[in-house]
Amino acid sequence: MTIEIATYLLYLAISIALTVWVAHTLHKSGRIFLVDVFHGNEPLADSVNHLLVVGFYLINLGYVSLALKLGYNIATAKEGIEALSVKVGTVLLVLGGMHFFNLFIFSRMRRRANMRNAPPPVYPDAFTPVQEV
Amino acid sequence: MSTLTLLYDPECGLCRRVQGWLAEQPKLLELKMIPIKTDAARRRYPQLNHELTAEDLTVISDQGAVYFGPKAWLMVLWSLSRYHEWSYRLASPELLPTTRRVVSLVSQHRYQISHAVGLSR
Repeated sequence: MTIEIATYLLYLAISIALTVWVAHTLHKSGRIFLVDVFHGNEPLADSVNHLLVVGFYLINLGYVSLALKLGYNIATAKEGIEALSVKVGTVLLVLGGMHFFNLFIFSRMRRRANMRNAPPPVYPDAFTPVQEV
Repeated sequence: MSTLTLLYDPECGLCRRVQGWLAEQPKLLELKMIPIKTDAARRRYPQLNHELTAEDLTVISDQGAVYFGPKAWLMVLWSLSRYHEWSYRLASPELLPTTRRVVSLVSQHRYQISHAVGLSR
């Protein structure tokens, strides 16, 4: 096995493992948020959670796959590790970006859901008896 | 709070138009419309100053909380699912003065506006 092939395989292994780990974290911790957003409707929360994680996997694995190609030759192990580090570093940044984007979506959904139960935006000017007819 | 009652001016074309638009909007609360200074309005709210309701939109909740003018409009927005968030935005300290000015301006000139856009009685 040449150093190049080894670098590619290591890159894939590390990137996929990282993606699975972040997706798992998102799935586990996001559920609590979503259950709250959907007022305890757990089947709906699980469904939305699952859909979000699928999208997360698709985008990240798509990026990992597209960024695989190195574009230059590697001769030594040192070069291999350097190339690997650049690739994995980019994947980590993309994962981080995606993760914060998901957190943003969760918090926005939650804020919107809480707004439904919030009191009116203004105080009344007066009170008057109501005569129901 | 489950119902808002709007006391609206049936004499003004703009108000009738808005009323028709409101009827089609998806709502979070029930909206009831009663024309101002009618027997129905006086029977339902015996202690309300009905002369005042002719000056600007009045909204009354089922618990008897009275919202007048700009506040009434904000409450109407609040009851609509599409504009629910906007009611909070427009009621924020930064935007409330502008909201008040615009709403008062439109309300005071509602007959002229109705006339100008061809919605006159």
